[in-house]
Amino acid sequence: MSVNAWIIVGDQPAISNLITVARSLGGPVGAVVAGPRSVAETVAASGVDKVVWCGAPDDVPAEASAPAVAETVAADPPRVVLAGRNPGERVLLGAAAARLKAAVLTGACTVSIDGGDVIVVNAVFGDIAEETVAVCGPVALLLDGGSVPPAAGDSVPIEEAAAAPLAMRVIETRTSGFDQVDLGEAHRVIGVGRGLAAKEDLAMVEALAKAVNAEIACSRPVAEGLNWMGKDRYIGSSGAHIAPQLYLAIGISGQLQHMVGVQGAQTIVAINSDPNAAVFSQTDYGLVGDLYQLVPAITAALK
Amino acid sequence: MRIVVAYKWTRDPAEATVRADGTVDWSRAKPGLSAYDPVAIELARQLAEVAGAELIGITAGGKGVAVPIASKAALSRGLDRVVIVEDESLAEAGRSELAAVLAEMVRYIGDVDLVVTGDSSVDVAAKMVPAVLAGELGWPAVAEVTAVSGTGVQAGALRVEQAVPGGVQVLEICGPAVLAASADAAVPRVPGMKELLAAARKPVELLELAALKVPPSNAIMTVAGRSRPERKARKGQLIDTSDPAVAAAELVAALREAGTL
Repeated sequence: MSVNAWIIVGDQPAISNLITVARSLGGPVGAVVAGPRSVAETVAASGVDKVVWCGAPDDVPAEASAPAVAETVAADPPRVVLAGRNPGERVLLGAAAARLKAAVLTGACTVSIDGGDVIVVNAVFGDIAEETVAVCGPVALLLDGGSVPPAAGDSVPIEEAAAAPLAMRVIETRTSGFDQVDLGEAHRVIGVGRGLAAKEDLAMVEALAKAVNAEIACSRPVAEGLNWMGKDRYIGSSGAHIAPQLYLAIGISGQLQHMVGVQGAQTIVAINSDPNAAVFSQTDYGLVGDLYQLVPAITAALK
Repeated sequence: MRIVVAYKWTRDPAEATVRADGTVDWSRAKPGLSAYDPVAIELARQLAEVAGAELIGITAGGKGVAVPIASKAALSRGLDRVVIVEDESLAEAGRSELAAVLAEMVRYIGDVDLVVTGDSSVDVAAKMVPAVLAGELGWPAVAEVTAVSGTGVQAGALRVEQAVPGGVQVLEICGPAVLAASADAAVPRVPGMKELLAAARKPVELLELAALKVPPSNAIMTVAGRSRPERKARKGQLIDTSDPAVAAAELVAALREAGTL
C-alpha cells in the first residue's frame, strides 16, 4: 500500500479536518504520530489506513520525533503531507518537508488533484489575496486540524518507527491558569482590544458575554504582551480564524492582521472611541463612543 | 561559538492593496525589518552576552534585502555582523526554498550553536521557515519560545520555555537548535544614534547564491491564477451613541431582527 497523503499528529489527535482533506484527495491515508501512545490509539480508530507511532518516552516532546516523522514519511513518499497549526506539529511538518524537498503552503482554502498536479487555492500575504497554485511534486500543507475524530469502526494496527528521538526533554510543565477554548465552535464571539484600560475591566465584558452567550477573544497584543488571556483566544492572520454568527469588536482598531481572522463572521459590530478607526469600514453596525458606557448599556438592553 | 539570527527585510501587507486581478500592489508599503524580528534579535543578543558568543544576522531574498538601510536596521539592534544572500530568484521563493538557503548559510558560517528567528514574518506569516530550516540542518526546533535560560549555550544544554495550548512547557535541549521566539519573548531596545553609528561600521558580507550548494526542490510550483477574495459586504451602519441606552436598544433590536441574537 502506497500512501497518497500522510497526516502528522503531535500531542493532540485533533485532526478531523486533516482526515477530511486527505480523504478528499483519494488513495490511502497514513498517519504518523509523535505524541503519546494514547493519541496513536485514537488516530488508529479514526478511519485512516495506516498508523505509525514514533514511540518516544513520556518526557520527550513531540518535536524530538522530527527525524522519525521525516524518515517514516520519506520511506513511503506521499503527494501531500498535512499537519495542524500547533507549534509541535509545525516543527514536525517542517522536518518532513525538508526531507521530501516539498513545497510548503499554509493558507490552503481548497486542495484537489488534477492529473499529476496538486492544485491549491492558497490565501497569501495575511489573506489579502488568493493564489491558485499548481504543484508538481510533494506538497506540505499546514491547516486547521479540526476536532478529535470519533471512532470509525475497527482500529488499524499501530506500527512503530525506529528512528531515535532528538536530545530534548520536558523538565517542567506549568498551566497558564487560562481556560482553553475552541473559538471555531462559538456562535458568538466578543473580541477585546487595547481600548480596554485594565485587566479588571474584563469583568464588564464577561457580563456582556454571559448575556449574549458569547466566547471572549482578543487582538494579539492582549494575549501576547498584556497576557490577559491565553494565546488560543487571539484572532488574526497568525491566530484564530473564526466565522461566528456575531462578532462584537470592543476597543479594537481594526488592523488588517486582526480583521482577516473575522472575515467569515455573519455580522460584525464594533465599539470604538475613535471615529476614524479602521474597524468602522469593515462592520455592519458601528458605535462610536466610550466602551465603558456602551458595553454595560448593551448588557442591560439584553436583559 | 556563534549564534545566528535569521531576519527578514520586507513590507507590511496592511499597507498594500490588492488589484481587481488579484495582484498585490506594494508601491505604497515601505520596507522595514519584519515586525517580530527585533524580538528575536534582542533574545539572541541577551544569550550571546551570557555565552560570550558572536552574534550574526542572516537574511536571504530578492532585490533590496542588501540595501544599506536594511543591514543597518538589523545591525543597530545588536548584531555583530550580517551575511546576506540577495538574488532576484529568491523574490518569489517558497518557504522551503528560503529555508534551504538559510540552512546553507548557517553551514557556510560554521561553528553555529543556535539559530533564533522571529515568530513569523509580517508579510507571509507562515511560521514555517524555522521548522523547515531545522529539518534541513537535522537540528531540534522549538516554536513559540517565551524564554531561554539555564546553563547557557556554552555548556551545550539549553533551557527553553515554550508556550503550548493551556500553559508553558520547559524543555532541556542538547546540541545546536533552532528557536522561533514568540512575540513576547523579549522587549526589544530601540536603537539610538550611538547604535546606528556603530552599525555603519559593522561588517556586511554579501554571499552569492551560486556559492552555496542549495539542494534543489522536488516540487515545481506554478501560479495558475490570482484573485482578490470576495469580502462579505458589510452594512457599515453607524448607530447614534449620544444616549448609550438608546444606542444599545437600537443595536439589540437590529441584531434580533437580523437573527444573530
